[in-house]
Amino acid sequence: MMNPLAVPDQHRNKDGLMADFEAVIGLETHIQLNTVTKIFCSCKADSWQDPPNTNICPVCAGLPGVLPVLNEAAVYKGALLAAAMHAEIRLVSYFDRKNYFYPDLPKGYQISQFDLALGDGGYLDVTMPGGFVRRVNITKLHLEEDAGKTKYEGGQRLVDFNRCGVPLVEMVTEPDLRSADEAAQYLIRLRQLLRWLGVSEADMEKGHLRCDANVSIRTAGSTYLNTKTEIKNVNSIEAVRAAINMEIERQVSLVQAGGQVESWTLDWDETRQRLNKMRSKETEADYRYFREPDLLPLELTSEWRDAVIQNLPELPLERQLRFMTRYQLPEYDADILTADRPIADYYEAALTAYGTDPKILSNWIMNEVLRMQNELGLSADALTLTPEYLAEVIRLVDAGTINAATGKALLVKVQQSGQPPQAIVAAEGLSQVSDDSALQSVIDAVLAAHPQEVESYRGGKEGLFGWFMGQVMRQTRGQADPAKTRALLQKALQGKR
Amino acid sequence: MSLTDQSAFDIAHKIQRGELAAVDVLDAALERIAAVDGRPGALDYGPLTQEDQTKVHAFITLTADRARQKAERVDARISSGEDAGALAGVPITIKDLFCLKGVPTTAASRILSNFVAPYTATAIERLEDAGAVVLGKVNMDEFAYGSSNESSAFKPTTRNPWDLTRVPGGSSGGSAAAVASGQGCLSVGTDTGGSIRQPAAYCGVVGLKPTYGRISRYGVIAFASSLDCPGPLARNVRDAALMLSVMAGADTRDSTAVRLPVPDYLAGIDRGVKGMRIGLSKDYLQISYPDPDTGETIMEDLPAEIRNMTLRAAETLAAEGAEIVENVPMPNSIYGIPAYFVISRVEASSNLHRFDGVKYGYRARASGGDLAELYRLTRAEGFGLEPKLRVLMGMYMSGGQLSLQYFQRALQARSMIRADFETAFDPDGPYRLDVLLTPTAPTPAFKMGDFYGDSTLMQYSDQLTVSANHAGVPALSIPGGLSAEGLPMGLQLIGPDFAEATLFRAGYAFEQATADADWRAVKPCVLAEVE
Ligand SMILES: [Zn+2]
Repeated sequence: MMNPLAVPDQHRNKDGLMADFEAVIGLETHIQLNTVTKIFCSCKADSWQDPPNTNICPVCAGLPGVLPVLNEAAVYKGALLAAAMHAEIRLVSYFDRKNYFYPDLPKGYQISQFDLALGDGGYLDVTMPGGFVRRVNITKLHLEEDAGKTKYEGGQRLVDFNRCGVPLVEMVTEPDLRSADEAAQYLIRLRQLLRWLGVSEADMEKGHLRCDANVSIRTAGSTYLNTKTEIKNVNSIEAVRAAINMEIERQVSLVQAGGQVESWTLDWDETRQRLNKMRSKETEADYRYFREPDLLPLELTSEWRDAVIQNLPELPLERQLRFMTRYQLPEYDADILTADRPIADYYEAALTAYGTDPKILSNWIMNEVLRMQNELGLSADALTLTPEYLAEVIRLVDAGTINAATGKALLVKVQQSGQPPQAIVAAEGLSQVSDDSALQSVIDAVLAAHPQEVESYRGGKEGLFGWFMGQVMRQTRGQADPAKTRALLQKALQGKR
Repeated sequence: MSLTDQSAFDIAHKIQRGELAAVDVLDAALERIAAVDGRPGALDYGPLTQEDQTKVHAFITLTADRARQKAERVDARISSGEDAGALAGVPITIKDLFCLKGVPTTAASRILSNFVAPYTATAIERLEDAGAVVLGKVNMDEFAYGSSNESSAFKPTTRNPWDLTRVPGGSSGGSAAAVASGQGCLSVGTDTGGSIRQPAAYCGVVGLKPTYGRISRYGVIAFASSLDCPGPLARNVRDAALMLSVMAGADTRDSTAVRLPVPDYLAGIDRGVKGMRIGLSKDYLQISYPDPDTGETIMEDLPAEIRNMTLRAAETLAAEGAEIVENVPMPNSIYGIPAYFVISRVEASSNLHRFDGVKYGYRARASGGDLAELYRLTRAEGFGLEPKLRVLMGMYMSGGQLSLQYFQRALQARSMIRADFETAFDPDGPYRLDVLLTPTAPTPAFKMGDFYGDSTLMQYSDQLTVSANHAGVPALSIPGGLSAEGLPMGLQLIGPDFAEATLFRAGYAFEQATADADWRAVKPCVLAEVE
């Protein structure tokens, strides 16, 4: 059967289409806060790979007579995020009931925040692929509880309440994004920020960061808003990009063919990489919001709020700019070295220990440390190779005690053993052979062992020089200073001893 | 006099001193239950027999074996010299709205008829920790929606021990009837619009709606969460005070339970009312209700015997040294019932969402795995008339634009009612009241069947009690006399926030001053045969 939402091939001329239209995109994100316990009870919040219905209690399972008690850690993390998003933290906010029926919503209402939520306003400045900075405004930032999970198996509907009551922040942007790439970039930067603040693991595959996208199109340059569609269930950055692109193309072809975009809810089918229509959305659902009478108003003191703002770390973009100005790093380096807080801290700690050229240090980290991190799956703060050890290794290389190749190998040895670099160098005799007489005797021995090759070289086969270099290196187990070896070897081959 | 007719205070003291065994008190209570209660309420009740009409039917679930274990434990503690608690061996009943671990908790509804609570409500936990012996769960209006007990799905419903053709009041009707007929000394009820005080008045017992938040609501199946107050029912003021001392206080499981120290409500209860400023309000000596045909508000004076009882009580208290302040205006009382109609239904309809047949309770047989049908049938079959009416009205009044017209306006009315009380109790204001004295209910107990099914008209019997729920202030109902027909009439004492001790003091003073009154000697008719 034909996919009703597929775009006919003859319309797939993206550049041509987008010359006339622009996309208008807003993102609705649900962020799972990484608190130890749930938002309204003392059950463990993280149930990843736990058997169904094992982290539940009367409160989160919605038994008759239970009451919610607010977890202050969730408020703190929500407020920290609000502060980082430049939102106003309301000193008095309220919880409200969002009423609807669904089997995985055990109380039949979700405790959420409606008109007077924890956060008011806010924005995130996102550097877009083109190099410009897009300010993405926030229209909604509130705390709420998660619902459970429903799955269908063997003709049965099975419900897992483990996720019920997991603290979420729902954050909704204004329709400020203009392309799928911009939407993806926003999510990348949001994910970075969440991890940076330590408020969420922000792993999209595990549902820590969920995203729905509202998409509409309009004549390029105009300011009105057209009917939008809502795409649900896009749970990776790539899915967001693909789904939005597909929907933009569908809307453009539809409008060009004289059709009208209808207010649909669409479901992203990850396996088939296509959008399915879930339902028409003629009217807004009526959730009959009213104040949650089981919770007191959430009252914060201005001292508490100030402390939250005080505790806000330097944010990724600010830190990137500082790396560029203070350390004269290229934007590319500064971006990578501020990808997460541990690597940025690592860089600065190593720089303090190293004391000199920030760019040389940057090269070492970007080439060696990041590769090591990727191979081991560790964040920078989990490395046995401390920033101080890294600095020590680079200094050994700078001093010529070891050569660069040995230095790189030494990093791995430090990471594996936890031993200080100096100790390993001493124990394994890794010091560069730069003592002229020792090196000279190795060279003499090599030449003596290969008279034919010496003859050929002297007869004009100068290409053999590299082969001699290799022989010397092998004899010295790579510890020979290459520059010195080269000089001594040239003299010896020319018979100029 | 049977042991079960003694006061909780005396029983606990005698047991603590080893003069009485908890199991003997339990036996006396069980004997009384066997004599007066008849068959317990049940879903499949069959026709009402002649005998049914001569019994009280307070219980839904009798937990005699469990009670015996608890009573034996109290006796064991006493004999080993341990402290058995302030309510050592006192037999009590619990409105079937409170969760009690391992015991059916039905809310008098078919939809929870098979629900066995896996945990215990805080208030009940505290009573049991203090040595109280729970006899069982007593009947009530379904989900506490009503003022007569007639809406219970568990029938026969409770009858008034003073006149078995009349209702015990509601929704804590089983609690009031049990206490009045000596089926235990105390009972735990809940009061959302008068649900403790009105049945207390109808059955001639003492009932307190504490300040909102004074007793934890954890484990109480919610009716209207912003109005619900658990509270004590007892046969005298001191027992109610003793019970509140045990139940009150902050609770880590209920953030709306107030973190204020709990005073010793018995200390100074006998200090009298000398110098106390006690108010009377004309607005509490009349009722207003909409004309069923035109919808216009009709104002009507209360029956003379109710008015006179109230005025006589004021004279009695004046004679004890209280200063009576007349004509305290409470003008917004007339909005009490309409505002309650809206707020309680909006909250109730939301609170009922969880009863969907998915997790626990009654589940209808839906064909073909159709979820909507499962919901529809479960709720159609599981809920009785009152929950259905409240779901419909509550959802209607909180939906979309109507919320502004109804719910938000009701909340405004609520603030205005609260302001009336603040003015009356303001220590720097014109009235400076310690207590407002009013009747509890506009009439004595009405006949069974008189209003049933007319939930609008029925709740006007809560008109004099509901304002305290809106305002959150405490209110105590005490017996004030008997009507010409020999039915109990209740007096209500309303105080400012957390002034329960003042209410107990005034109530106790009235009790003492009228101890020898003729009407005090009259007992409920069901007790005539057992004595
Ligand atoms: Zn839980």
